Amino acid sequence: MSEAYFPVGPGLGPEENFLSLDDILMSQEKLPGRAESSLPRLAFALGQGAAGGSGDSIPEGSKLEIPMWLAKGLHDSKRRIISVELPKIYKEAWRTVFSADANVVDLHKMGPYYYSFGSQLLNFDNPENPEIAQTILQTFISRFRRIMDSSQNAYNEDTSMLVARLDELERALFRAGQKGLNDFQCWEKGQASQITVSSLVQNYGKRKFTDMDS
Amino acid sequence: MAGERAVGLVRELQRAAGGHLPPFRAEELRQALEEMRALYERNQADVSEAKAGRTDLIFLIRFRHCCLLRNQRCIVAYLYDRLLRIRALRWEYGSILPNAIQFHMSAEEVEWFNRYKKSLATYMRSVGGEEGLDLTQDIKPPKSLYIEVRCLKDYGEFEIEDGTTVLLKKNSQHFLPRWKCEQLIRQGVLEHILS
Amino acid sequence: MEPAEAEFLAEQELVTIVPSFSMDRVHLIGVRGRGHKRGVPVWLAINLKQRQKCRLVPPEWMDVEKLEEMRDQERKEDTFTPMPSPYYMELTKLLLNYASDNIPKADEIRTLVKDTWDTRMAKLRLSADSFVRQQEAHAKLDNLTLMEINTIGTFLTQALDHMYKLRTNLQPAHGSQSQDF
Repeated sequence: MSEAYFPVGPGLGPEENFLSLDDILMSQEKLPGRAESSLPRLAFALGQGAAGGSGDSIPEGSKLEIPMWLAKGLHDSKRRIISVELPKIYKEAWRTVFSADANVVDLHKMGPYYYSFGSQLLNFDNPENPEIAQTILQTFISRFRRIMDSSQNAYNEDTSMLVARLDELERALFRAGQKGLNDFQCWEKGQASQITVSSLVQNYGKRKFTDMDS
Repeated sequence: MAGERAVGLVRELQRAAGGHLPPFRAEELRQALEEMRALYERNQADVSEAKAGRTDLIFLIRFRHCCLLRNQRCIVAYLYDRLLRIRALRWEYGSILPNAIQFHMSAEEVEWFNRYKKSLATYMRSVGGEEGLDLTQDIKPPKSLYIEVRCLKDYGEFEIEDGTTVLLKKNSQHFLPRWKCEQLIRQGVLEHILS
Repeated sequence: MEPAEAEFLAEQELVTIVPSFSMDRVHLIGVRGRGHKRGVPVWLAINLKQRQKCRLVPPEWMDVEKLEEMRDQERKEDTFTPMPSPYYMELTKLLLNYASDNIPKADEIRTLVKDTWDTRMAKLRLSADSFVRQQEAHAKLDNLTLMEINTIGTFLTQALDHMYKLRTNLQPAHGSQSQDF
Protein backbone atom coordinates (compact mmCIF):
# COMPACT_ATOMS: atom_id res chain seq x y z
CA MET A 1 0.00 0.00 0.00
CA SER A 2 1.07 3.55 -0.63
CA GLU A 3 1.96 5.41 2.52
CA ALA A 4 0.90 8.85 1.33
CA TYR A 5 -2.39 8.13 -0.45
CA PHE A 6 -5.39 8.11 1.85
CA PRO A 7 -8.64 7.75 -0.05
CA VAL A 8 -11.87 9.29 1.21
CA GLY A 9 -13.55 6.57 3.27
CA PRO A 10 -17.16 5.48 3.05
CA GLY A 11 -19.64 7.31 5.25
CA LEU A 12 -21.43 4.23 6.61
CA GLY A 13 -24.50 4.83 8.73
CA PRO A 14 -27.11 7.47 7.88
CA GLU A 15 -24.92 9.72 5.74
CA GLU A 16 -23.00 8.81 2.61
CA ASN A 17 -19.64 10.43 2.06
CA PHE A 18 -20.05 12.60 -1.04
CA LEU A 19 -16.49 12.17 -2.34
CA SER A 20 -16.02 8.52 -1.39
CA LEU A 21 -15.50 6.23 -4.40
CA ASP A 22 -16.70 3.35 -2.23
CA ASP A 23 -19.97 5.10 -1.49
CA ILE A 24 -20.50 6.01 -5.13
CA LEU A 25 -20.11 2.38 -6.17
CA MET A 26 -22.26 1.26 -3.24
CA SER A 27 -25.09 3.59 -4.30
CA GLN A 28 -24.82 2.20 -7.84
CA GLU A 29 -26.13 -1.16 -6.56
CA LYS A 30 -29.72 -1.78 -7.57
CA LEU A 31 -32.78 -2.47 -5.54
CA PRO A 32 -36.21 -3.75 -6.52
CA GLY A 33 -39.08 -1.31 -6.77
CA ARG A 34 -42.47 -0.75 -8.34
CA ALA A 35 -44.09 2.11 -10.24
CA GLU A 36 -47.02 3.31 -8.15
CA SER A 37 -48.42 5.36 -10.99
CA SER A 38 -47.85 5.49 -14.71
CA LEU A 39 -44.53 7.11 -15.57
CA PRO A 40 -44.53 8.77 -18.99
CA ARG A 41 -41.30 9.13 -21.00
CA LEU A 42 -39.25 7.19 -18.48
CA ALA A 43 -39.06 3.67 -19.89
CA PHE A 44 -35.97 4.27 -22.01
CA ALA A 45 -34.34 6.43 -19.40
CA LEU A 46 -34.68 3.61 -16.88
CA GLY A 47 -33.59 1.01 -19.40
CA GLN A 48 -37.02 -0.63 -19.51
CA GLY A 49 -38.00 0.25 -23.06
CA ALA A 50 -38.95 -3.19 -24.31
CA ALA A 51 -40.43 -4.60 -21.12
CA GLY A 52 -43.15 -1.98 -20.81
CA GLY A 53 -44.48 -2.62 -24.26
CA SER A 54 -46.31 0.72 -24.37
CA GLY A 55 -43.85 3.06 -26.03
CA ASP A 56 -41.79 5.16 -23.68
CA SER A 57 -44.01 5.10 -20.65
CA ILE A 58 -43.90 2.75 -17.71
CA PRO A 59 -47.38 1.48 -16.77
CA GLU A 60 -48.56 1.59 -13.16
CA GLY A 61 -47.55 -1.47 -11.16
CA SER A 62 -44.48 -2.30 -13.28
CA LYS A 63 -41.55 -3.85 -11.55
CA LEU A 64 -38.40 -1.75 -11.58
CA GLU A 65 -34.75 -2.21 -10.77
CA ILE A 66 -33.20 1.09 -9.89
CA PRO A 67 -29.88 2.08 -8.36
CA MET A 68 -29.79 3.28 -4.78
CA TRP A 69 -28.84 6.83 -5.71
CA LEU A 70 -31.89 7.18 -7.92
CA ALA A 71 -34.21 5.54 -5.42
CA LYS A 72 -33.01 8.02 -2.81
CA GLY A 73 -33.39 10.95 -5.17
CA LEU A 74 -36.90 10.01 -6.24
CA HIS A 75 -38.16 8.96 -2.85
CA ASP A 76 -41.03 11.05 -1.61
CA SER A 77 -43.07 9.81 1.31
CA LYS A 78 -45.98 12.13 0.53
CA ARG A 79 -46.42 11.31 -3.13
CA ARG A 80 -45.35 7.73 -3.56
CA ILE A 81 -44.57 7.51 -7.25
CA ILE A 82 -42.03 4.75 -6.90
CA SER A 83 -42.04 2.31 -4.01
CA VAL A 84 -38.97 0.44 -2.96
CA GLU A 85 -38.76 -3.14 -1.74
CA LEU A 86 -36.14 -4.78 0.43
CA PRO A 87 -33.48 -6.83 -1.33
CA LYS A 88 -33.85 -10.37 -0.05
CA ILE A 89 -30.72 -10.32 2.09
CA TYR A 90 -32.32 -7.68 4.32
CA LYS A 91 -35.67 -9.49 4.54
CA GLU A 92 -36.85 -11.43 7.52
CA ALA A 93 -35.85 -14.87 6.24
CA TRP A 94 -32.24 -13.75 5.87
CA ARG A 95 -32.31 -11.80 9.09
CA THR A 96 -33.07 -15.09 10.82
CA VAL A 97 -30.05 -16.67 9.15
CA PHE A 98 -27.87 -13.81 10.32
CA SER A 99 -29.04 -14.06 13.89
CA ALA A 100 -28.44 -17.83 13.91
CA ASP A 101 -24.84 -17.60 12.65
CA ALA A 102 -23.68 -14.52 10.81
CA ASN A 103 -20.31 -16.11 10.13
CA VAL A 104 -21.64 -18.60 7.59
CA VAL A 105 -22.89 -15.95 5.17
CA ASP A 106 -20.85 -15.00 2.11
CA LEU A 107 -21.32 -11.26 2.42
CA HIS A 108 -19.27 -10.55 -0.65
CA LYS A 109 -21.53 -12.56 -2.89
CA MET A 110 -24.63 -11.15 -1.21
CA GLY A 111 -23.32 -7.61 -0.91
CA PRO A 112 -20.70 -6.57 -1.54
CA TYR A 113 -21.64 -3.44 0.38
CA TYR A 114 -23.85 -5.14 2.94
CA TYR A 115 -23.40 -2.63 5.78
CA SER A 116 -23.36 0.62 3.80
CA PHE A 117 -26.18 -0.40 1.48
CA GLY A 118 -28.23 -1.66 4.40
CA SER A 119 -27.73 1.62 6.24
CA GLN A 120 -28.94 3.54 3.20
CA LEU A 121 -32.02 1.31 2.89
CA LEU A 122 -33.25 2.88 6.11
CA ASN A 123 -34.03 6.04 4.14
CA PHE A 124 -37.22 4.53 2.76
CA ASP A 125 -39.42 4.53 5.88
CA ASN A 126 -39.86 0.78 5.78
CA PRO A 127 -41.80 -0.49 8.83
CA GLU A 128 -39.07 -3.12 9.31
CA ASN A 129 -36.35 -0.46 9.65
CA PRO A 130 -35.64 -1.08 13.35
CA GLU A 131 -35.12 -4.80 12.73
CA ILE A 132 -32.89 -4.15 9.71
CA ALA A 133 -30.72 -1.69 11.63
CA GLN A 134 -30.45 -4.11 14.53
CA THR A 135 -29.50 -7.04 12.28
CA ILE A 136 -26.80 -5.07 10.48
CA LEU A 137 -25.22 -4.03 13.77
CA GLN A 138 -25.43 -7.52 15.26
CA THR A 139 -23.96 -9.05 12.12
CA PHE A 140 -20.93 -6.78 12.39
CA ILE A 141 -20.51 -7.66 16.04
CA SER A 142 -20.77 -11.41 15.47
CA ARG A 143 -18.31 -11.40 12.60
CA PHE A 144 -15.85 -9.09 14.35
CA ARG A 145 -13.99 -11.79 16.25
CA ARG A 146 -13.20 -13.89 13.23
CA ILE A 147 -11.99 -10.89 11.23
CA MET A 148 -9.77 -9.75 14.09
CA ASP A 149 -8.31 -13.18 14.81
CA SER A 150 -7.54 -14.00 11.21
CA SER A 151 -6.08 -10.59 10.41
CA GLN A 152 -3.91 -10.66 13.52
CA ASN A 153 -3.00 -14.30 13.15
CA ALA A 154 0.76 -14.55 13.39
CA TYR A 155 1.12 -17.99 11.84
CA ASN A 156 0.59 -17.06 8.22
CA GLU A 157 -2.37 -19.34 7.78
CA ASP A 158 -4.15 -19.04 4.49
CA THR A 159 -6.88 -16.46 4.97
CA SER A 160 -7.93 -16.10 1.33
CA MET A 161 -11.04 -18.25 1.84
CA LEU A 162 -12.19 -16.08 4.66
CA VAL A 163 -11.41 -12.80 2.92
CA ALA A 164 -13.34 -13.88 -0.17
CA ARG A 165 -16.49 -13.96 1.93
CA LEU A 166 -16.07 -10.55 3.52
CA ASP A 167 -18.03 -7.48 2.49
CA GLU A 168 -16.05 -4.42 1.30
CA LEU A 169 -16.10 -2.73 4.69
CA GLU A 170 -14.88 -5.89 6.40
CA ARG A 171 -12.12 -6.30 3.83
CA ALA A 172 -10.77 -2.85 4.53
CA LEU A 173 -10.88 -3.64 8.23
CA PHE A 174 -9.10 -6.93 7.65
CA ARG A 175 -6.35 -5.12 5.73
CA ALA A 176 -5.92 -2.62 8.55
CA GLY A 177 -5.50 -5.48 11.01
CA GLN A 178 -3.05 -7.26 8.80
CA LYS A 179 -0.98 -4.14 8.30
CA GLY A 180 -0.65 -3.74 12.07
CA LEU A 181 0.61 -7.28 12.38
CA ASN A 182 2.87 -7.13 9.31
CA ASP A 183 4.49 -3.90 10.45
CA PHE A 184 5.19 -5.49 13.81
CA GLN A 185 6.63 -8.65 12.28
CA CYS A 186 8.84 -6.62 9.96
CA TRP A 187 10.12 -4.74 12.95
CA GLU A 188 10.76 -8.00 14.81
CA LYS A 189 12.83 -9.24 11.90
CA GLY A 190 14.80 -6.00 11.96
CA GLN A 191 13.45 -4.74 8.64
CA ALA A 192 11.55 -1.78 10.02
CA SER A 193 14.42 0.64 9.56
CA GLN A 194 14.91 -0.30 5.93
CA ILE A 195 13.93 2.35 3.41
CA THR A 196 11.89 0.67 0.74
CA VAL A 197 10.77 1.42 -2.77
CA SER A 198 7.46 3.27 -2.98
CA SER A 199 4.57 1.01 -3.89
CA LEU A 200 3.43 3.69 -6.34
CA VAL A 201 6.70 3.31 -8.22
CA GLN A 202 6.43 -0.47 -8.21
CA ASN A 203 2.97 -0.17 -9.72
CA TYR A 204 4.22 1.97 -12.58
CA GLY A 205 7.00 -0.48 -13.27
CA LYS A 206 4.50 -3.30 -13.68
CA ARG A 207 2.04 -1.11 -15.50
CA LYS A 208 4.49 -0.26 -18.25
CA PHE A 209 4.48 -3.84 -19.47
CA THR A 210 0.72 -4.17 -19.52
CA ASP A 211 0.47 -0.86 -21.36
CA MET A 212 2.74 -2.15 -24.07
CA ASP A 213 0.71 -5.33 -24.37
CA SER A 214 -2.56 -3.60 -24.96
CA MET B 1 -29.09 4.74 -18.22
CA ALA B 2 -27.87 8.21 -17.32
CA GLY B 3 -24.70 8.46 -15.26
CA GLU B 4 -23.11 5.30 -16.63
CA ARG B 5 -20.11 7.06 -18.15
CA ALA B 6 -19.37 9.05 -15.03
CA VAL B 7 -19.63 6.03 -12.76
CA GLY B 8 -17.40 4.16 -15.19
CA LEU B 9 -14.67 6.69 -14.44
CA VAL B 10 -15.11 6.10 -10.73
CA ARG B 11 -15.09 2.35 -11.19
CA GLU B 12 -11.84 2.40 -13.12
CA LEU B 13 -10.18 4.59 -10.54
CA GLN B 14 -11.36 2.40 -7.67
CA ARG B 15 -9.98 -0.69 -9.40
CA ALA B 16 -6.52 0.91 -9.63
CA ALA B 17 -5.49 -0.14 -6.13
CA GLY B 18 -2.79 1.19 -3.86
CA GLY B 19 -2.92 4.80 -5.06
CA HIS B 20 -1.94 3.99 -8.64
CA LEU B 21 -2.87 6.73 -11.13
CA PRO B 22 -4.64 5.41 -14.24
CA PRO B 23 -4.66 7.49 -17.45
CA PHE B 24 -6.82 10.60 -17.40
CA ARG B 25 -10.00 9.86 -19.35
CA ALA B 26 -10.53 13.15 -21.15
CA GLU B 27 -12.95 11.74 -23.71
CA GLU B 28 -15.19 9.97 -21.21
CA LEU B 29 -15.21 13.08 -19.08
CA ARG B 30 -16.24 15.18 -22.06
CA GLN B 31 -19.07 12.77 -22.84
CA ALA B 32 -20.28 12.82 -19.25
CA LEU B 33 -20.31 16.62 -19.28
CA GLU B 34 -22.12 16.55 -22.61
CA GLU B 35 -24.75 14.26 -21.09
CA MET B 36 -25.18 16.74 -18.26
CA ARG B 37 -25.61 19.61 -20.70
CA ALA B 38 -28.29 17.67 -22.59
CA LEU B 39 -30.13 16.78 -19.38
CA TYR B 40 -30.03 20.39 -18.29
CA GLU B 41 -31.34 21.71 -21.60
CA ARG B 42 -34.21 19.24 -21.74
CA ASN B 43 -35.12 20.11 -18.18
CA GLN B 44 -35.08 23.82 -19.00
CA ALA B 45 -37.58 23.24 -21.77
CA ASP B 46 -39.81 20.99 -19.65
CA VAL B 47 -39.75 23.35 -16.70
CA SER B 48 -41.34 26.08 -18.81
CA GLU B 49 -43.99 23.61 -19.97
CA ALA B 50 -44.62 22.46 -16.41
CA LYS B 51 -45.07 26.05 -15.35
CA ALA B 52 -47.61 26.39 -18.13
CA GLY B 53 -49.64 23.56 -16.61
CA ARG B 54 -48.02 20.27 -17.68
CA THR B 55 -47.65 19.00 -14.09
CA ASP B 56 -47.26 15.44 -15.37
CA LEU B 57 -43.73 16.43 -16.33
CA ILE B 58 -42.64 17.17 -12.79
CA PHE B 59 -41.55 13.63 -12.05
CA LEU B 60 -39.52 13.46 -15.24
CA ILE B 61 -37.84 16.76 -14.39
CA ARG B 62 -37.00 15.43 -11.00
CA PHE B 63 -35.57 12.28 -12.50
CA ARG B 64 -33.28 14.28 -14.80
CA HIS B 65 -32.24 16.46 -11.93
CA CYS B 66 -31.18 13.38 -9.93
CA CYS B 67 -29.13 12.24 -12.92
CA LEU B 68 -27.45 15.65 -13.13
CA LEU B 69 -26.50 15.54 -9.47
CA ARG B 70 -25.28 11.98 -9.80
CA ASN B 71 -23.04 12.88 -12.72
CA GLN B 72 -21.73 15.85 -10.86
CA ARG B 73 -20.88 13.76 -7.81
CA CYS B 74 -19.09 11.10 -9.84
CA ILE B 75 -17.03 13.65 -11.75
CA VAL B 76 -16.06 15.69 -8.71
CA ALA B 77 -15.12 12.56 -6.76
CA TYR B 78 -13.13 11.27 -9.74
CA LEU B 79 -11.13 14.48 -10.07
CA TYR B 80 -10.64 14.81 -6.34
CA ASP B 81 -9.42 11.27 -5.78
CA ARG B 82 -6.95 11.71 -8.64
CA LEU B 83 -5.56 14.78 -6.93
CA LEU B 84 -5.07 12.75 -3.74
CA ARG B 85 -3.09 10.24 -5.74
CA ILE B 86 -1.06 12.95 -7.46
CA ARG B 87 -0.30 14.58 -4.13
CA ALA B 88 0.94 11.21 -2.80
CA LEU B 89 3.37 11.05 -5.74
CA ARG B 90 5.09 14.21 -4.52
CA TRP B 91 5.74 12.55 -1.15
CA GLU B 92 6.69 9.14 -2.41
CA TYR B 93 8.42 9.89 -5.66
CA GLY B 94 9.81 13.38 -5.43
CA SER B 95 9.29 16.65 -7.25
CA ILE B 96 10.12 15.44 -10.76
CA LEU B 97 7.79 12.82 -12.15
CA PRO B 98 8.87 10.43 -14.89
CA ASN B 99 7.16 10.65 -18.26
CA ALA B 100 5.29 7.39 -17.71
CA ILE B 101 3.35 9.06 -14.92
CA GLN B 102 2.99 12.45 -16.57
CA PHE B 103 1.38 10.78 -19.58
CA HIS B 104 -1.43 9.76 -17.26
CA MET B 105 -2.14 13.30 -16.16
CA SER B 106 -4.21 16.06 -17.74
CA ALA B 107 -2.62 19.46 -18.38
CA GLU B 108 -4.56 20.86 -15.42
CA GLU B 109 -3.30 18.08 -13.18
CA VAL B 110 0.29 18.75 -14.18
CA GLU B 111 -0.30 22.41 -13.39
CA TRP B 112 -1.82 21.49 -10.03
CA PHE B 113 1.13 19.23 -9.24
CA ASN B 114 3.56 22.06 -10.01
CA ARG B 115 1.71 24.46 -7.76
CA TYR B 116 1.51 21.92 -4.97
CA LYS B 117 5.22 21.31 -5.32
CA LYS B 118 5.97 25.03 -5.07
CA SER B 119 3.67 25.53 -2.15
CA LEU B 120 5.26 22.62 -0.28
CA ALA B 121 8.76 23.88 -1.08
CA THR B 122 7.92 27.35 0.22
CA TYR B 123 6.60 25.85 3.42
CA MET B 124 9.60 23.58 3.89
CA ARG B 125 11.98 26.52 3.43
CA SER B 126 10.11 28.42 6.14
CA VAL B 127 10.46 25.80 8.88
CA GLY B 128 13.48 24.35 10.66
CA GLY B 129 15.76 27.37 10.71
CA GLU B 130 17.67 29.08 7.93
CA GLU B 131 18.23 26.09 5.74
CA GLY B 132 14.66 24.94 5.88
CA LEU B 133 13.61 21.37 6.50
CA ASP B 134 12.90 18.68 3.93
CA LEU B 135 9.82 17.02 5.37
CA THR B 136 9.87 14.25 2.81
CA GLN B 137 13.17 12.95 4.23
CA ASP B 138 13.54 10.53 7.12
CA ILE B 139 10.03 9.14 6.90
CA LYS B 140 11.35 6.49 9.28
CA PRO B 141 13.67 7.36 12.18
CA PRO B 142 17.20 7.09 10.81
CA LYS B 143 19.60 4.68 12.49
CA SER B 144 22.77 6.13 11.00
CA LEU B 145 23.98 8.95 8.77
CA TYR B 146 25.40 6.64 6.15
CA ILE B 147 23.79 3.58 4.67
CA GLU B 148 24.80 0.73 2.40
CA VAL B 149 23.01 0.69 -0.94
CA ARG B 150 22.98 -1.49 -4.03
CA CYS B 151 22.31 -0.06 -7.46
CA LEU B 152 19.33 -1.66 -9.23
CA LYS B 153 19.80 0.08 -12.57
CA ASP B 154 22.35 2.18 -14.43
CA TYR B 155 21.81 5.69 -13.19
CA GLY B 156 25.06 7.47 -14.05
CA GLU B 157 27.05 10.07 -12.17
CA PHE B 158 25.69 11.06 -8.79
CA GLU B 159 27.02 13.96 -6.77
CA ILE B 160 27.34 13.59 -3.00
CA GLU B 161 27.58 16.42 -0.52
CA ASP B 162 31.23 17.48 -0.82
CA GLY B 163 31.11 17.74 -4.59
CA THR B 164 32.62 14.35 -5.27
CA THR B 165 30.71 12.05 -7.57
CA VAL B 166 30.11 8.34 -7.62
CA LEU B 167 29.12 6.28 -10.63
CA LEU B 168 25.84 4.49 -9.95
CA LYS B 169 26.15 1.39 -12.13
CA LYS B 170 23.83 -1.58 -12.03
CA ASN B 171 24.74 -4.03 -9.22
CA SER B 172 27.42 -1.73 -7.80
CA GLN B 173 27.40 -1.22 -4.02
CA HIS B 174 28.00 2.08 -2.22
CA PHE B 175 28.17 3.55 1.24
CA LEU B 176 26.38 6.88 0.94
CA PRO B 177 24.86 9.64 3.09
CA ARG B 178 21.35 8.55 3.92
CA TRP B 179 19.70 11.86 3.12
CA LYS B 180 21.22 11.85 -0.34
CA CYS B 181 19.86 8.50 -1.39
CA GLU B 182 16.53 8.16 0.37
CA GLN B 183 14.64 9.46 -2.63
CA LEU B 184 16.54 7.24 -5.08
CA ILE B 185 15.63 4.25 -2.95
CA ARG B 186 11.95 5.21 -2.99
CA GLN B 187 12.19 5.60 -6.75
CA GLY B 188 13.61 2.11 -7.12
CA VAL B 189 17.05 3.17 -8.38
CA LEU B 190 18.87 2.03 -5.26
CA GLU B 191 18.16 -0.70 -2.74
CA HIS B 192 18.82 -0.17 0.96
CA ILE B 193 20.93 -3.03 2.33
CA LEU B 194 20.70 -3.74 6.02
CA SER B 195 23.89 -4.97 7.63
CA MET C 1 2.61 5.08 14.61
CA GLU C 2 5.17 2.80 13.02
CA PRO C 3 7.00 0.21 15.14
CA ALA C 4 10.23 1.95 14.06
CA GLU C 5 8.97 5.11 15.78
CA ALA C 6 8.13 3.23 18.97
CA GLU C 7 11.65 1.83 18.90
CA PHE C 8 13.03 5.34 18.38
CA LEU C 9 11.28 6.47 21.56
CA ALA C 10 12.59 3.43 23.41
CA GLU C 11 16.15 4.39 22.49
CA GLN C 12 15.83 7.32 24.87
CA GLU C 13 15.57 4.94 27.87
CA LEU C 14 18.63 4.72 30.08
CA VAL C 15 20.81 1.64 30.25
CA THR C 16 23.96 1.00 32.24
CA ILE C 17 27.28 0.61 30.47
CA VAL C 18 30.84 0.04 31.56
CA PRO C 19 33.01 2.08 29.21
CA SER C 20 36.31 0.64 28.12
CA PHE C 21 37.75 4.07 27.35
CA SER C 22 37.96 7.44 28.99
CA MET C 23 37.32 10.72 27.36
CA ASP C 24 37.09 14.01 29.16
CA ARG C 25 35.06 16.00 26.76
CA VAL C 26 31.93 13.92 26.68
CA HIS C 27 30.68 15.00 30.11
CA LEU C 28 27.47 16.24 28.61
CA ILE C 29 26.38 12.73 27.78
CA GLY C 30 27.61 11.37 31.05
CA VAL C 31 30.38 8.96 30.12
CA ARG C 32 32.99 9.50 32.78
CA GLY C 33 35.85 7.11 32.50
CA ARG C 34 37.14 3.63 32.02
CA GLY C 35 35.57 1.04 34.28
CA HIS C 36 32.93 3.31 35.85
CA LYS C 37 29.33 2.24 35.52
CA ARG C 38 27.19 4.92 33.90
CA GLY C 39 23.60 5.24 32.76
CA VAL C 40 23.34 6.40 29.16
CA PRO C 41 20.54 6.43 26.58
CA VAL C 42 20.18 3.20 24.67
CA TRP C 43 21.03 4.78 21.31
CA LEU C 44 24.39 5.87 22.65
CA ALA C 45 25.04 2.59 24.41
CA ILE C 46 24.44 0.72 21.15
CA ASN C 47 26.65 3.09 19.22
CA LEU C 48 29.49 2.63 21.70
CA LYS C 49 28.94 -1.10 21.84
CA GLN C 50 29.06 -1.41 18.07
CA ARG C 51 32.46 0.27 18.16
CA GLN C 52 33.51 -1.99 21.07
CA LYS C 53 33.91 0.97 23.39
CA CYS C 54 31.82 -0.44 26.22
CA ARG C 55 30.25 -3.42 27.88
CA LEU C 56 26.52 -3.31 28.39
CA VAL C 57 24.91 -4.17 31.72
CA PRO C 58 21.46 -5.65 31.09
CA PRO C 59 18.57 -4.04 32.98
CA GLU C 60 17.70 -5.84 36.20
CA TRP C 61 14.52 -7.32 34.81
CA MET C 62 16.31 -8.89 31.86
CA ASP C 63 16.93 -12.04 33.83
CA VAL C 64 15.58 -15.51 33.21
CA GLU C 65 14.21 -16.06 36.69
CA LYS C 66 12.43 -12.71 36.85
CA LEU C 67 11.03 -13.08 33.36
CA GLU C 68 9.72 -16.57 34.11
CA GLU C 69 7.87 -15.12 37.03
CA MET C 70 6.54 -12.33 34.85
CA ARG C 71 5.35 -14.77 32.20
CA ASP C 72 3.61 -17.04 34.73
CA GLN C 73 1.94 -14.06 36.36
CA GLU C 74 0.74 -12.82 32.99
CA ARG C 75 -0.75 -16.23 32.20
CA LYS C 76 -2.45 -16.46 35.59
CA GLU C 77 -4.10 -13.06 35.68
CA ASP C 78 -7.10 -12.07 33.58
CA THR C 79 -6.01 -8.46 33.41
CA PHE C 80 -2.76 -7.05 32.09
CA THR C 81 0.06 -7.19 34.64
CA PRO C 82 2.47 -4.26 34.85
CA MET C 83 5.57 -4.73 32.70
CA PRO C 84 9.06 -4.00 34.06
CA SER C 85 9.55 -1.37 31.36
CA PRO C 86 7.06 0.43 29.12
CA TYR C 87 9.44 -0.54 26.29
CA TYR C 88 10.10 -4.14 27.38
CA MET C 89 9.63 -5.45 23.84
CA GLU C 90 11.75 -2.80 22.11
CA LEU C 91 14.55 -2.98 24.69
CA THR C 92 14.68 -6.76 24.52
CA LYS C 93 15.07 -6.64 20.78
CA LEU C 94 17.62 -3.81 20.76
CA LEU C 95 19.83 -5.13 23.53
CA LEU C 96 19.72 -8.73 22.39
CA ASN C 97 20.52 -7.74 18.84
CA TYR C 98 23.46 -5.53 19.62
CA ALA C 99 24.81 -6.85 22.90
CA SER C 100 23.80 -10.49 23.27
CA ASP C 101 27.36 -11.32 24.37
CA ASN C 102 26.84 -9.16 27.48
CA ILE C 103 23.51 -10.75 28.37
CA PRO C 104 23.49 -14.20 29.96
CA LYS C 105 21.03 -16.72 28.48
CA ALA C 106 20.02 -14.38 25.69
CA ASP C 107 17.97 -16.98 23.81
CA GLU C 108 15.94 -17.94 26.85
CA ILE C 109 15.23 -14.29 27.50
CA ARG C 110 14.06 -13.78 23.96
CA THR C 111 11.63 -16.70 24.24
CA LEU C 112 10.28 -15.64 27.61
CA VAL C 113 9.60 -12.10 26.49
CA LYS C 114 7.95 -13.33 23.31
CA ASP C 115 5.76 -15.75 25.29
CA THR C 116 4.66 -12.90 27.52
CA TRP C 117 3.93 -10.74 24.49
CA ASP C 118 1.84 -13.50 22.90
CA THR C 119 -0.15 -14.02 26.09
CA ARG C 120 -0.82 -10.30 26.33
CA MET C 121 -1.86 -9.96 22.70
CA ALA C 122 -4.26 -12.90 23.03
CA LYS C 123 -5.71 -11.20 26.10
CA LEU C 124 -6.02 -7.96 24.21
CA ARG C 125 -7.98 -9.62 21.43
CA LEU C 126 -10.20 -11.36 23.94
CA SER C 127 -11.03 -8.14 25.73
CA ALA C 128 -11.53 -6.30 22.42
CA ASP C 129 -14.08 -8.93 21.43
CA SER C 130 -16.00 -8.79 24.68
CA PHE C 131 -15.90 -5.00 24.47
CA VAL C 132 -17.50 -5.11 21.04
CA ARG C 133 -19.92 -7.89 21.94
CA GLN C 134 -21.28 -6.05 24.94
CA GLN C 135 -21.28 -2.74 23.09
CA GLU C 136 -19.47 -1.00 25.89
CA ALA C 137 -18.85 2.72 25.67
CA HIS C 138 -15.45 2.77 27.31
CA ALA C 139 -12.81 0.36 28.52
CA LYS C 140 -9.90 0.48 30.89
CA LEU C 141 -6.77 -1.10 29.55
CA ASP C 142 -4.14 -0.40 32.17
CA ASN C 143 -0.54 -1.52 31.78
CA LEU C 144 -0.57 -1.87 28.03
CA THR C 145 2.58 -0.69 26.30
CA LEU C 146 2.90 1.53 23.25
CA MET C 147 4.03 -1.27 20.96
CA GLU C 148 1.11 -3.47 21.99
CA ILE C 149 -1.47 -0.75 21.41
CA ASN C 150 0.18 0.07 18.12
CA THR C 151 -0.11 -3.41 16.71
CA ILE C 152 -3.88 -3.55 17.02
CA GLY C 153 -4.70 0.18 17.31
CA THR C 154 -5.69 1.03 13.73
CA PHE C 155 -7.78 -2.08 13.41
CA LEU C 156 -9.57 -1.54 16.68
CA THR C 157 -10.33 2.14 16.26
CA GLN C 158 -11.61 1.51 12.76
CA ALA C 159 -13.85 -1.30 13.95
CA LEU C 160 -15.23 0.80 16.81
CA ASP C 161 -15.84 3.66 14.41
CA HIS C 162 -17.87 1.36 12.16
CA MET C 163 -19.79 0.08 15.12
CA TYR C 164 -20.58 3.57 16.31
CA LYS C 165 -21.99 4.49 12.91
CA LEU C 166 -24.03 1.30 12.67
CA ARG C 167 -25.46 2.14 16.07
CA THR C 168 -26.59 5.57 14.93
CA ASN C 169 -28.71 3.65 12.42
CA LEU C 170 -30.81 2.44 15.33
CA GLN C 171 -32.04 5.92 16.14
CA PRO C 172 -35.49 6.40 14.63
CA ALA C 173 -34.55 9.94 13.53
CA HIS C 174 -32.93 8.25 10.55
CA GLY C 175 -34.69 9.17 7.34
CA SER C 176 -36.85 11.85 8.88
CA GLN C 177 -35.26 14.55 6.72
CA SER C 178 -36.49 12.88 3.59
CA GLN C 179 -40.01 12.81 4.99
CA ASP C 180 -40.07 16.55 5.13
CA PHE C 181 -39.48 17.35 1.53
